Amino acid sequence: MGVDFGDLFEKKKCSLKDLSHKIIAIDAYNALHQFLSIIRQRDGTPLMDAKGRITSHLSGLLYRTANLVEAGIKPIYVFDGAPHPLKAKTIAERREIKEEAERKWRKALEKGEIEEARKRAQQTSRVTDEIVKQSKNLLSALGIPFVQAPSEGEAQASYMARKGDVYAVASQDADSLLFGAPVLVRNLAITGRRKLPGKQVYVKVEPEIIELEDNLKRLGIKREQLVDMAILIGTDFNEGIEGIGPKKSYEIIKRAGNLENALKMLKVEMDEEMLNEVRRIFLDPPVTDNYKLEWKLPDEEKVLSMLCDEHQFSESRVKSALEKFSSMEKLFKQNRLF
Amino acid sequence: MFEAKVKAEIIKAMIDITSHLINEAKLNVRKDGIFLRAVDPAHVAMVDLSIKPSAFEDYRAEDIEIGVDLDKLGGIMKLASSSDVLSLKYEESTNKLVIQIGNLTRKMGLLDTAGMPDPKVPNLNLPAKVTLKASELMQGIKASEAISDHIALIATKDGFELFAEGDMDTVNLKLPKDLLMEFEVPERCKSLFSIDYFSNMIKPIKGSQPVTLYLGNDNPVKIEFDFADKNGHAFYLLAPRIESE
Repeated sequence: MGVDFGDLFEKKKCSLKDLSHKIIAIDAYNALHQFLSIIRQRDGTPLMDAKGRITSHLSGLLYRTANLVEAGIKPIYVFDGAPHPLKAKTIAERREIKEEAERKWRKALEKGEIEEARKRAQQTSRVTDEIVKQSKNLLSALGIPFVQAPSEGEAQASYMARKGDVYAVASQDADSLLFGAPVLVRNLAITGRRKLPGKQVYVKVEPEIIELEDNLKRLGIKREQLVDMAILIGTDFNEGIEGIGPKKSYEIIKRAGNLENALKMLKVEMDEEMLNEVRRIFLDPPVTDNYKLEWKLPDEEKVLSMLCDEHQFSESRVKSALEKFSSMEKLFKQNRLF
Repeated sequence: MFEAKVKAEIIKAMIDITSHLINEAKLNVRKDGIFLRAVDPAHVAMVDLSIKPSAFEDYRAEDIEIGVDLDKLGGIMKLASSSDVLSLKYEESTNKLVIQIGNLTRKMGLLDTAGMPDPKVPNLNLPAKVTLKASELMQGIKASEAISDHIALIATKDGFELFAEGDMDTVNLKLPKDLLMEFEVPERCKSLFSIDYFSNMIKPIKGSQPVTLYLGNDNPVKIEFDFADKNGHAFYLLAPRIESE
């Protein structure tokens, strides 16, 4: 998901407290996807209610948002709108991978291979329309604002950050940097402990910050060149050039200056219309000013009815999460000096 | 190197002005005085204070940084009465501050100042300037504390106002410009502030002392005042609260 920039960017570790009082635009699709793939039972089965409906996303939204709010962060979730037609291919491919992973998951379960099952399960999570709808309902009940982006959620979130309405975009992808977000926060939506892929080891995952301007300066490139690099590597909207990864694309763009010259150097051709369209997607995406940075106290009754009555969540656990919201009311109204 | 003799009340004043915002402080000790600037952990408030050598009975210093646990220092100050003259000496070999109060010698371990940066004062647009007595301000704050958790500070062409509103009660402190010690208000300015923070900032200032407020619109407020018989100078910056709908 998103462009693979490898270790190209310099990241700074930070704690949740460092983000206190800051407004963070969280890419909802990304966050929900994280919740769906990580919040599961040991054999990989997602959290489900009595009727067999998936509830991992609701669990993640409630408990993770409660932790963010408790740390003094003001989150606003940004939901994707209609995907760009160029993304359709990537979406179709992802769906295929997920369906294949689901087949493998069921097989592993039947054979009793728990580890294998869990690995496969993590690849099957799909953010469906129903999941999006439920998530929006929960956020409303929690008093947490969200924005409906006209197209890419990350483009919208980055626009809000560039405007200065939010401090940073939170996502696991680096695409927000391509969309011009001044600050990207990774690892915000996932829990403190994470299992290393393929190993039986758990590590503590902390948020990290990537600053666009600092990195562009350090790399000696402009954002337009970063976009050109992304096109070479491959984005959600286009296939990259075979064999070109983050390091190579940087070397080439640095030398060639831009994509057209880079392609000449590589003696490779790319459809001119397509590459200009992808540039437009990142440099001039559709965005909206239709959002309100307003946080309210949760409607406790509504949340309890939604999660406990409807989906059999534990009342005591939900209540203690809700407590984290109400104690932070003061914070929502107080600005920072910087 | 740093060696000084000073009235306890000066150090107590320094602690009163800073300890409600921060637990640890870096004292920049220089030939021309002691300087401190810090931001509270929530980055909502900043304090900046300086104490001139003339505040001390005796003052000998060369540039050093002394990291102090303010809670600890405050506890030690309780051992002295305000008019006691205590001696301070920085012991380089052990990185301790040696405090002598009468016949009592207290050595205090100091903090590593490496992790304590000097925050920059942000550029602010604060067009309005009014000066009034701390006691007037404190009266308005006390009245407001009972009914709300935030106050509005308003400067108009006619004067200065402090306003608070609860569910059913209001408080209004109005000072027309001729009752103000200083008044420069080119345009109407209004900002809201948390009473908790604001009250803690005004409390350490002696009632009869003038306090100068620099105000903008929905901007931080700068609160400036002197202490230690004008040998000490301090200012606060307090970030505003957003108007809730």
